[in-house]
Amino acid sequence: MSSDIVFDQAVEIPDILKSGDVVTTLVGERTRLSLRVKAADRIAVAKALGITLPAKIGKTNTKAGIMIACLGPDEWFIVGEKAKYSNLYNKALKLSSKYVMSVTDVSFRNVAVELTGPKVAEIVNVGCPLDLSLAAFPVGKCTRTVYEAAPIILHRLSEDSFAMECWRSYAPYMVGLMTAHVQGQRV
Amino acid sequence: MMLIHCPYCDEKRPEIEFAYAGEAHIVRPNAAEQQAMDDVEWSKFMFIRDNKRGEHCERWWHANGCNMYFNAVRNTVTDKFIKSYKIGQKRPSAAQIQKWKDQANG
Repeated sequence: MSSDIVFDQAVEIPDILKSGDVVTTLVGERTRLSLRVKAADRIAVAKALGITLPAKIGKTNTKAGIMIACLGPDEWFIVGEKAKYSNLYNKALKLSSKYVMSVTDVSFRNVAVELTGPKVAEIVNVGCPLDLSLAAFPVGKCTRTVYEAAPIILHRLSEDSFAMECWRSYAPYMVGLMTAHVQGQRV
Repeated sequence: MMLIHCPYCDEKRPEIEFAYAGEAHIVRPNAAEQQAMDDVEWSKFMFIRDNKRGEHCERWWHANGCNMYFNAVRNTVTDKFIKSYKIGQKRPSAAQIQKWKDQANG
């Protein structure tokens, strides 16, 4: 994996988002893998990789600093600290000769922000039309959705905090929308 | 905003996550059948659709969600979704659609 490349996050969090009802922080460099496996091979592949692949769309499994989310019937998104990954990616690559599957390193594709605070759902709902009540979007749920025009991956970390990631080129747009909302502008 | 039920996510999700993908249950001819077709027949397969008024079976794509295609019955007059179902399931009969409607109306 490309460990010597410096990752340019392409966005900065303005001061107005760093304090107040919702505190926004830019998540540092992460490793991200997109794993596609046929549903029938899910258990066998997970066992060979030494991880758990949740079976149901929206479910996540977080263990030893690696978060694995099921985004579709045959698609998993794996994200976590950079150091934890060296084996996982190579193991998955080797497995791909045995199963119909693919693994892609998409580390540099996304930029993530973490939002924490009592009014966090309000900021997320500025661009995302999902029902964010705890009943409809419980802690641990992760799904692909939209933030206005930008596709995002939304993950509920706790009752009042979310991780939100989008493609790097959309990041200034996503953060801009949040800023405009906090400044009281109509968006 | 309209909420559309995705049979894969098994959830009602906002309409802007989806993309419409045309009439459902149109089987693409295989290579041999295509060879035997003339231009008129091919253009019928490609472009001619029922454009039905009323309950219409159509494809939808959950593009910003689980990324799956599925089929749905939607009333093209009222824009009401009657039922969505997974790819591979057969086109529902008129009786089946009526049954779904009765269920929805309690």
